[in-house]
Amino acid sequence: MTQRTLLPNRREILQLSALACSGLLAARPAAAQSGPVRLGALLPLTGAGGPYGAPMAKVAKAVVDEVNAAGGILGRKIELFVEDDQTNAEAAVRAARKLIDVDKVAAVMGTWSSAVTTAVAPLCWESKTFQTTTSGADSITLLPHQGYLIRTQPNTTLQGQKFGAFAVESGAKKVFFISPQTPFVKTQLDGISAALKKSGGSVGSLVYDDKRPSYRSEVDEILRFEPDAIILGGYTPDTIVMLKDLFRAGYKGSKIAFAYSVNQKLIESVPPEIVEGTFTISPSPAEGSNAYARVAKLAGMSNPDPYTAQMYDQINLVVLALAAGGGEMNGTTIKTSVRTISQGTDRSKVDNATEGLKLLAAKKKIDYDGASGPCDFTDIGDIGDCKFRYEQVKSAKLALLRIA
Amino acid sequence: MFSSLLQAIVSGLMTGSLIALPAIGFTTIFAVLRYPSFAIAAYMTIGGFAGIYANQHFGMGIVALLLLAAAVAGLVGLLAEQAVLGPLRPAGALTAAIGSIALNVVLENILRFSFGNDLQGFNLPIHPDMRLGPIRVGSQQLQNLGLAIAVMAAVFLFLRYSRFGRAMRAVADNADLARLKGIDPKIICGVAVALGAALAGVGGALLGMDTSIDPLTGYRVLLSVFAAAVLGGLGSTPGAVLGALAIGVAEEASLLVVPATYRGAIAFFAILAMLTFRPRGLLGERST
Amino acid sequence: MASYVLFTLTIGGIYALLALSLNLVWGMAGMVNLGLAGFFAVGAYASAIATGAGAPVILGWLLAIACGVVAGLVITFATLRLRDDYLAIVTLGFGEVVRLVALNERWLTKGADGISGIPGPFKQALGQTGFPIFYCVLVSVIVGGVWLALRRLDLSPYGRTLKAIREDQELARFAGKPVLRFKFEAFAVAAAIAALAGALYGHFQSYISPDHFQSLITIYIFLAVTAGGVGRPLGAVVGAYAVVVFLEATRFFADVLPGLQPVQLAAVREMLVGAALLVVLLCKPTGLLAERIAPAAPYRKSR
Repeated sequence: MTQRTLLPNRREILQLSALACSGLLAARPAAAQSGPVRLGALLPLTGAGGPYGAPMAKVAKAVVDEVNAAGGILGRKIELFVEDDQTNAEAAVRAARKLIDVDKVAAVMGTWSSAVTTAVAPLCWESKTFQTTTSGADSITLLPHQGYLIRTQPNTTLQGQKFGAFAVESGAKKVFFISPQTPFVKTQLDGISAALKKSGGSVGSLVYDDKRPSYRSEVDEILRFEPDAIILGGYTPDTIVMLKDLFRAGYKGSKIAFAYSVNQKLIESVPPEIVEGTFTISPSPAEGSNAYARVAKLAGMSNPDPYTAQMYDQINLVVLALAAGGGEMNGTTIKTSVRTISQGTDRSKVDNATEGLKLLAAKKKIDYDGASGPCDFTDIGDIGDCKFRYEQVKSAKLALLRIA
Repeated sequence: MFSSLLQAIVSGLMTGSLIALPAIGFTTIFAVLRYPSFAIAAYMTIGGFAGIYANQHFGMGIVALLLLAAAVAGLVGLLAEQAVLGPLRPAGALTAAIGSIALNVVLENILRFSFGNDLQGFNLPIHPDMRLGPIRVGSQQLQNLGLAIAVMAAVFLFLRYSRFGRAMRAVADNADLARLKGIDPKIICGVAVALGAALAGVGGALLGMDTSIDPLTGYRVLLSVFAAAVLGGLGSTPGAVLGALAIGVAEEASLLVVPATYRGAIAFFAILAMLTFRPRGLLGERST
Repeated sequence: MASYVLFTLTIGGIYALLALSLNLVWGMAGMVNLGLAGFFAVGAYASAIATGAGAPVILGWLLAIACGVVAGLVITFATLRLRDDYLAIVTLGFGEVVRLVALNERWLTKGADGISGIPGPFKQALGQTGFPIFYCVLVSVIVGGVWLALRRLDLSPYGRTLKAIREDQELARFAGKPVLRFKFEAFAVAAAIAALAGALYGHFQSYISPDHFQSLITIYIFLAVTAGGVGRPLGAVVGAYAVVVFLEATRFFADVLPGLQPVQLAAVREMLVGAALLVVLLCKPTGLLAERIAPAAPYRKSR
């Protein structure tokens, strides 16, 4: 008995493979010792983090262009490779592999989602590629990264404490914290509760699904607590809906939000009464720093949000670390040198790469203080203490209240 | 306790009205073309962007921008059907459904390419809720609900009594037989898709007024829209509205027993329950 | 570059397992499983939690397979009487529910933090250069094994029955086939394969999170099966590797398109995936490799 089999059309298979591989073969081999300095940015350009990725990319490119125009790092131009992590850890790992193995970048910068950062971290430390991130989850800096990771986002417990303290200061006795399910819900809540407990107030909380078009019942639950202040812990897409529903429900108390959620883009896209009077808090350098203004100019926004500010800092730190280290332009150099340019006493303060490079060339010691804070890192890569920027939305614009 | 439940029901009606129009659109396309179109998400988002553009650049008011949203979304749906999804239909509902997933990805990214990921909002006032005793009712949402019911009535009457509508139902029942009677299925299918996509577009614009518009606007509510249409009975216009309101009420009421983080699962369990006990849905016809 | 290629091949292998799973349940039995990501997640988490509690890796993988089977049976049982299009929507919801549970039940899955430090088998002994090679070979061998098994199934009477069910359930039932039992079995086995893929992924990456299991990967697998050839195991495997290569190749297209913003390039990349699926559906809906239907045994005149 013979079986009639249909042979696969080999020609078609070959054609398809050739087509797909032609793309891969177009990849340029990476130069080793001389040639451009290769840096990578892994950003949320699509997916849930989409609203944040584009400004981060813009600022990174702007800084690279500025540094290249001034001569590059020790005479070598920077080549920036931007990849999309699709706000999806599985896709992010593939993108990181390409950046590390094919583009041979010295650093992977800008990872936003905590899951993406945690997934990419082992790839980085195993290949001795430096990683800088904006993600907030505590577990990230506790990974065995051997110094190849720094985080420009302050500790979420600290942030929670600042939020709680601010709420107490503004006279609130009953504070309600709302947030989607993130790795730092508990730490933020603990920080807020600690501050409220000291003043004898009370705290309520609610974790919500961040993909809903309406939060009426959630708002009802929040208002049953009768809070004086609501702290919003979400991101722009869900915060917009929450603010609208709070307005509709007639909530008149104060609203305190992270500056990355009630950011300039959000404020511009809603009627003013929705956000009027909302307070925003974000990490900040000390008063008198020009860094924030620089970022605003590079990003083309009057109030860039914290992630954009952090991206600016990350690329500056990496560039300066490479210049200070001398030698090979790779991750290990950044690891050993980054703290020599970001912190310490008796140093000239700089807030941008071009100036820092000039000082380094003149054999001066520098201390980079960035747009998101003093950028002083602990041994495990966390931000030490930092100041915070308190702003309030007044007439559809963010007005600075104070830096403290 | 009772007032919480009552409020949940009222809120549910408000929330449900947001997905009622897209649900009608989805079920109309299914009724005539016989496949579930995942591209409904993209049609919603396209309608939203069209409305935003009209509002921000030409200062159009609500009625005008809704009409524009309907027109643009309907046109895109029609073109997509002619060029891409129509040729797939002979291969079966499944192939067309998968094609609609792919089309959704393409359309969503065309929007992302053109407008970026930024959230966009309408230049329209937002009103605080009205209070009826202990219950609060949103005025804008009440308007949405009224609009959804009005559209449902119009579509229902159109399908039942107009020549076009009867032709659509004929094609839905049996395309070959309809052809024998002199009806051109191609034209009818085109009208059905244009109508379905247009309704989704209006739904998207209304949704955007309550939330915001970005490339993912339609995708976020996709599962809820499906659930509404399936719950009400695929192919039934009043069913789609009923299903949407039921889903809305179920989601709002569920907060009284289940943590808010599981809202997304409610739609899933609602469909499952309905399909297990009454597969044709609330108002659907017995499936052939 | 070598590690990139090894990595891509390993991921391709894991996609291939998912594609084989989809091929079994959809290509052969005609049941649409849009919740692939859910079974993928079930397997990954089962193994990660088990090995986190101290179980050896191989036990974790067996547990993953077992959990996959249970999940598959549950879904089939819950959707017994559903038509194809309904099954599609319900399985889509299943994938979403699994993700929600993984996200919110912190006590079990560590929630949004995800589970890190998942042990890789022999990772310490093999070191950083040896482990990727070992794992790539391991995954490829498993893919080969599963493929051979499904290929035999495809050409066997069992496979013919599944295809009969795919074409016309009522007729198959009329011909005396226990349709329900076949559907249960097919779905359970397919779920087990997807769960195994999840476990393999988890131990390869050493970290999983709810974020990993979005519906995006289901779309990629559908592209793989459709492009490779619906109903044919080899088609699923070829399609999967082709999709991974395609996804990676699209990154390099960025160099060809100047003057676009990063967001636009990212949008173009995603668009290409959707467009590729459409092109395949329109031009070669049965995929690259045509389906093989083994003929029935020849009719014997004498009894």
